[in-house]
Amino acid sequence: MPHQCTNCGRAFDDGSKEMLSGCPDCGGNKFQFRPDGIDSQAPPDPDAEPPEPPEPPGADSTVARTVGKTAATVRDIVGGGNDDPTVGADAGAASSTGASGSDDASPGVDRSEAATRREVDTQTADTEDAAQASARADVVTPDELPQEPQTDSESEHHFQPVGADPDPPEEPDETERPDLKELREELNDQFESIKVLEPGQYELNLMELYDREEYIVALQEDGRYSIQVPETFRE
Amino acid sequence: MGLLTNLRDSISRAASTLFSEEDPKRIGIYGPPNAGKTTLANRIARDWTGDAVGPESHVPHETRRARRKENVEIERDGKKVTIDIVDTPGVTTKVDYTEFLEHDMEKDDAVRRSREATEGVAEAMHWLREDVDGVIYVLDSATDPFTQVNTMLIGIIESQDLPVLILANKIDLEESSVQRIRNAYPQHETIPLSALEGDNMDEVYDKIAEYFG
Repeated sequence: MPHQCTNCGRAFDDGSKEMLSGCPDCGGNKFQFRPDGIDSQAPPDPDAEPPEPPEPPGADSTVARTVGKTAATVRDIVGGGNDDPTVGADAGAASSTGASGSDDASPGVDRSEAATRREVDTQTADTEDAAQASARADVVTPDELPQEPQTDSESEHHFQPVGADPDPPEEPDETERPDLKELREELNDQFESIKVLEPGQYELNLMELYDREEYIVALQEDGRYSIQVPETFRE
Repeated sequence: MGLLTNLRDSISRAASTLFSEEDPKRIGIYGPPNAGKTTLANRIARDWTGDAVGPESHVPHETRRARRKENVEIERDGKKVTIDIVDTPGVTTKVDYTEFLEHDMEKDDAVRRSREATEGVAEAMHWLREDVDGVIYVLDSATDPFTQVNTMLIGIIESQDLPVLILANKIDLEESSVQRIRNAYPQHETIPLSALEGDNMDEVYDKIAEYFG
């Protein structure tokens, strides 16, 4: 809805991860932002498609499917969707599968709206490209349903790195952490030897100084000190 | 690294014992600041070589670099004992420049002295680890000997199996108590002396020859 592929016109929900790896349909990587207010007016196309992708994954469970369909139909109503074939089929499926009382309400809405939609569709279908219509039809076809989960899974592959944005930084951190730990330990060791409270005030850990192989040659005013390694010290 | 160093240490120590007659033992004079280490070192050096080791001062941390006086020959009972004397900076766990301000020192000088004293402690600890064959541990008998520094240093010396002679210095002072030192470190022989006055130095030289000869 808020995002639309500028190449094929496919729409994506706000925050959709699919578009992060390019449009699953055409591979396009340019998307235009469409605020909700505009969405309701302009893009019936995008509206039609996004509801459908949720459906395939939900096809496994009847409840999920019906919920997905109701969501799709509601969007269609709001956006004046053109998905007659798809919604019609979905509505049929929903009505057939919807055994619960709660499901009965939504098909009722579907059917009543379906009629109005068909009228709108016939009007808009004239103005629309056949390619767009076929694209929508393609999306709805059962053949595409298995593909979309694939794209989902692909997108997931893309996403996990992206969606796990916190993670990738962590991984490098983890790889760096040992070094940092070593550094800190090294620094701690040094502070354990000589702690500079302020220039001219020092606390000394005699055991640490004794245990060190390095020989502290000179203290700097900034708290650093230079050391002489045993090899050079011992000629 | 540590293994190599240890190996090299043990080899050099073995070598030093093999050639002990040729190579004088290096005796470190250790102790807290202002115990009289440099006064003692100067006393020994003057008595046997005619030279001094370094300047003495009532201001703590006058000695901030280990100073060595080599080939000090001490004659006892017709026998000659040759040692290198290493006068080390006073060992302490805290160095504070404000302590020096009380001795009419400018702040910059006091801070520098403090920094050098700290370097000196590090150096002294390093010498103790690798470069001394025996220790003369000097204590001010007018002060409490039972301190963290003394206990730790004597413990380190013991762990190194280094021969150590404890000297109770400043017996010329009224507050001096040699017994307090003996009580604190009963496992070691304590020799009273006044390095400043030269009191009881004969016994000190006897013991040096006995311990480090």
